[in-house]
Amino acid sequence: MQTAQKNLGEVLFALVFVVLGVAGVIFAGTIEVPDLEFGMGPRAFPYIVSTLMLVIGAGLVFQALRGQLGAAEDGEDIDAEASTDWITIGKIALFVVIHIVLIEPAGWPVAAAVLFTGASWSLGAKPLWRSIMISVILALVLQYLFGGLLGVSLPRGPLLEGVEFLNG
Amino acid sequence: MDNFNMLMEGFATAAQPIYLLYALFGVFIGTAVGVLPGIGPAMTVALLMPITYSLEPTAAMIVFAGIYYGGMYGGSTTSILLNTPGESASIVTALEGNKMAKAGRGAAALATAAIGSFIAGTIATVLLTFLAPVIVDFAINLGPVDFVALMVVAFLTIGALLGGSILRGMASLVLGLFIGLIGVDDTTAQQRYTLGFPGLTDGIDVVLVAVGLFAVGEALYVAARMRKGPVEVMSMGSSSGNSAKWMSKDDWKRSWKPWLRGTFIGFPIGTVPAGGADVSTFLSYATERKLAKGKNKKQFGHGAIEGVAGPEAANNAAAAGVLVPLLTLGIPTTATAAMMLTAFQRYQIQPGPLLMETNGALVWALIASLYIGNLMLLILNLPLVGLWVKILQIPRPYLYSGILVFGALGAYSLNFATLDVVILLVIGILGFFMRQYGYPVAPMVVAMILGPMFEVQLRRGLQISQNDVSALVSTPFTWVVYGALILMFVASFFIKRAQKKMESAPLEQIEEPSK
Amino acid sequence: MSEATTRPVIVLGYVPGALGDAALAAAVDECARRDAKLLVINSTRADRTVDVHYAFGPDMERLRTYLEAGGVEHEIRQFTSDQLASDDVLEAAEKADAELIVIGVRRRSPVGKMLMGSDAQRILLQAECNVLAVKA
Repeated sequence: MQTAQKNLGEVLFALVFVVLGVAGVIFAGTIEVPDLEFGMGPRAFPYIVSTLMLVIGAGLVFQALRGQLGAAEDGEDIDAEASTDWITIGKIALFVVIHIVLIEPAGWPVAAAVLFTGASWSLGAKPLWRSIMISVILALVLQYLFGGLLGVSLPRGPLLEGVEFLNG
Repeated sequence: MDNFNMLMEGFATAAQPIYLLYALFGVFIGTAVGVLPGIGPAMTVALLMPITYSLEPTAAMIVFAGIYYGGMYGGSTTSILLNTPGESASIVTALEGNKMAKAGRGAAALATAAIGSFIAGTIATVLLTFLAPVIVDFAINLGPVDFVALMVVAFLTIGALLGGSILRGMASLVLGLFIGLIGVDDTTAQQRYTLGFPGLTDGIDVVLVAVGLFAVGEALYVAARMRKGPVEVMSMGSSSGNSAKWMSKDDWKRSWKPWLRGTFIGFPIGTVPAGGADVSTFLSYATERKLAKGKNKKQFGHGAIEGVAGPEAANNAAAAGVLVPLLTLGIPTTATAAMMLTAFQRYQIQPGPLLMETNGALVWALIASLYIGNLMLLILNLPLVGLWVKILQIPRPYLYSGILVFGALGAYSLNFATLDVVILLVIGILGFFMRQYGYPVAPMVVAMILGPMFEVQLRRGLQISQNDVSALVSTPFTWVVYGALILMFVASFFIKRAQKKMESAPLEQIEEPSK
Repeated sequence: MSEATTRPVIVLGYVPGALGDAALAAAVDECARRDAKLLVINSTRADRTVDVHYAFGPDMERLRTYLEAGGVEHEIRQFTSDQLASDDVLEAAEKADAELIVIGVRRRSPVGKMLMGSDAQRILLQAECNVLAVKA
């Protein structure tokens, strides 16, 4: 069951390369070529890369169909035996989306604090109030360091409107 | 000698208090991320890219070089004191170093690693100092087709040798080339693969891809299969915890040769694309194992000090070796080097044979800071071991959430556009799937940097030859390069086979960590 | 719970180190005085690479030797848990209907307390039985 599922995933992922390769070849044909161009035009390299992608993708699909699966990457924080926890991934992706939505209306510090709290909660941090506290401190410190000191123009947001030293 | 004067000027710059502080900051951060699992120097440099907005080039490059060297030191600390290595180049160190720590000789292992790293780093930096101008003198006469040849070598070796499967490595590489194509063509100003989105005309920033793949992709991957359970920290000294046993006379006698051998194994390998630290540490380990005699040979697998001294030296020498093609040819061969090149580009500095001429002061200050950084690392490392172990007590949820926040900050600060954070998430998800299905991510980042440079040189070469493709193999230099390429593949085939053999053999002997 | 436990139960929240050792000594004393059985809890959230509150081989060895030497009836429970360590101790105490919980408490500044939170505080506030807070 587990391997069958992984097998399907691998085939689908390999197909992405094939699709990208095909799309690359098609769209390479739409690149405009100036008449004066001498030598290799702007289309040639895209054609080469896309064709390579197509060939390699086809090879990968073939391999995956034959059951030659890739070895999932090892890591020090990775439990090789664990099965993929899609719910946690979904939660984190969702919090990144919320972060994106919040940056401009609410300001970067608020959006960053929400991202940190949400992500650490998704990853199983306890208790929640500690995540919130760390996130607020981290967001303000980063805003001060990058916005205030280094002059990166991060939006402060309405909440911290009057705080001059956080000015991005 | 002229170069010597330039280096002295570099020291004069790098020794200014403010630059010393930047170097200290760099090596400190570098060691910390080297110690931490899951974060490497490439990710750190990518995450810290926003500092290029306000720091001047010299300061930023000194910070990044410090991170780069520091990461190598930090990895050894983790692999000696813990049963899990913090940085891939240090896996070999764990074989013997961890055993030494178990036997109560942790301090000696840490010391031989640190001193070996210092010696190797310093010798390798000296080699870099004298080699770089020579290579530049030579490279300045290279034509476009010669560069095409060099980059073909870089592509093939990086794609084929990083990671377990050649096809997957190449897929990652080609994907990087593909993403590198998006945007306006430099030569003809035509839009390519932008699909009419105005946001894509400038292309996708390589920092976005690097942060997405390394930071977000890694965080998602860890989220999916987070390891449960702490590991045991070995005490530094004898089991009762009193005075830590420093290196004995015998340890010194057994270490100095591996240090030197490791240096001269690591440096040349570092200069070759995809040679990288992994191969050099393995080769050094195998050499030491072979050369050891009698009683010492029996110790291999049970904590032989040569098995720590050699690979750690090789590791750091390779790190310096990687800087040779970066600073002289403008060709990055590792993900971290790719990020450093990106940093140069952000300052409108194009690395290549002309770099030392146009930005000599910067390059020499950078090299001088490497010497200083190495010394700082030696002094910092041992007394701060307690602090590094403390860093490992940060709960993973906070760690990876912090990485996400930093990644989002880096992405947003590129253009202050939320679209970039969206792209970041997409690339992060891509990075997750690549890890899940065993695709190495580093080739993609290197290819994104090298791809556009490659195309420019290729088109220039063909323009000069009036579309005659045979021009690509027309110079003696190209013959040498392509010949070397073939040799390298044959050699790597054997090395890989031996490496697999070694990795599977001793690892089986390591008993399960006590629970 | 299943057997008719005539002896009262004392729960010890154990962490390796001076703090835990002080608590351990006090707990063994209490056991002798009350003729109680000692239940030692050592759990980890397993959410970090290094958890200094988790006892590994040598620490466990010392713990066992000390308990044997003290001559009290005891049980050691060591496990990985999703909960906070304080919840594990409280839960064990509740299940065993413990008479006393023994923990080690460090002196802390109010600010440090606020930042770090405290398992000890949670136990002190939420336990249903008496709590002996041992200062180390």
